Amino acid sequence: MVYDLSIVVEKFPIFIPAAVQTLKITAASIVFGVIIGLVVAFGRISKCKLFYFPATLYITVIRGTPILLQLFIVYFGLAEIVRLDPFPSAVIAFGTHNGAYIAEIFRGAIKSIDIGQMEAARSLGMTQFQAMRRIILPQALKRAIPPLGNQFIIATKDSSLASAISVRELLLKSQQLGSSTYRFMEYFIIAGIYYLIITTILGYLVHRLERRLAVSDRL
Amino acid sequence: MNKRSDRKMVEVKGLHKSFGELEVLKGIDLSVAEGEVVVIIGPSGSGKSTLLRCINFLEKNQSGEICIDGQLIEHGGGHINKMRQNVGMVFQHFNLFPHMTVLQNVSEGPIQVRKMSKRHAVTMAEELLDKVGLADKKNEYPAMLSGGQKQRVAIARALAMQPKVMLFDEPTSALDPELVGEVLAVMKELAREGMTMLVVTHEMGFAREVADRVIFMDDAAIVEQGIPEDVFDNPKNERTQAFLGQIL
Repeated sequence: MVYDLSIVVEKFPIFIPAAVQTLKITAASIVFGVIIGLVVAFGRISKCKLFYFPATLYITVIRGTPILLQLFIVYFGLAEIVRLDPFPSAVIAFGTHNGAYIAEIFRGAIKSIDIGQMEAARSLGMTQFQAMRRIILPQALKRAIPPLGNQFIIATKDSSLASAISVRELLLKSQQLGSSTYRFMEYFIIAGIYYLIITTILGYLVHRLERRLAVSDRL
Repeated sequence: MNKRSDRKMVEVKGLHKSFGELEVLKGIDLSVAEGEVVVIIGPSGSGKSTLLRCINFLEKNQSGEICIDGQLIEHGGGHINKMRQNVGMVFQHFNLFPHMTVLQNVSEGPIQVRKMSKRHAVTMAEELLDKVGLADKKNEYPAMLSGGQKQRVAIARALAMQPKVMLFDEPTSALDPELVGEVLAVMKELAREGMTMLVVTHEMGFAREVADRVIFMDDAAIVEQGIPEDVFDNPKNERTQAFLGQIL
């Protein structure tokens, strides 16, 4: 056999720091992404052009350009103005990137709530803000969970692009060990297993949350 | 039985509303006295629901005045929110909040809008659910209820704001026939207690029995109105005659 799978078992633990780095980038970009996403989603559903246009422009630009380009712009491009370390560069680039997609997820979820819900809330005398916070958002967030889970998994995998600016996460670690030993396949398999573990656990957690919040739908 | 007073709870003057080119209300004048039950009938597309929605400002009228309990309601500011606290609305499709239990549906308005203490609001919600015969369903979610039960919860939810007027927008139109009765029974009870009610419905039996006044609308205008006996048994306008001929 050309591949030595015992290396996979033997070297598996030394990837832990890299896996932690992957998790950190992913978690930070998800948190930023959700915050940005919520704000931008409100801009997108706003009737006020002052909010609508910047939000729409942001989504158009982010969705219309490659994530790797966005990462390079933050890390190399902005270096003339502010020199950021690789890790914060990755978090900023990926957070901004995820924010655009998450904004569209939130917008879709809010729009999917029947107009009658807003009318019923307003007919009780609630303000727009109260109706949004108490009636629309709780229902919309619940509906947003499956696509959000999807986006979180995408964010996990996209974090591997940070290897291109030398963040020592899973992919870079496997590349480095591979090129120094010529055992590329073995180390790539290790990285792959780590990604699978992370995305599987993430998928499971999202699924559980989804089920827990489905209490009110149960017949 | 003369339960009417001279106090005008709802007063609409010269109300115009159009959706684009389509005129849906062509200058409506209407007043409802305290304790009066007014039923609006008419073919679909005649503007009855829009009239009700305009009174609650869920639709914005182009011109005309709306007064609730003697107070002219203006657009903007907190006027509309304030007014809505006094005007209960019941929708054709119930619009219960699916993420809240029956009890939370009813207590939400008083807690959020009236700033009532939670304990007080819950006690009141329980009383109202008892009144509509659903005390035992208080911890269920709306998804578990039948249409008739949902609509009774929706009525309790509107009543929890202690409104001066109740607007009913085809409250039984989305119900299976066998569930219509339980909702109408609750509405009859409300009318008997002296609630001021403006009801859009196709339930002619209810109109005949409960209404103090019946209004027939057609083509975006009020065509005829009067006590149920006159409108149903001796309609003067031929459009009223034609409409009643079709449905009775």
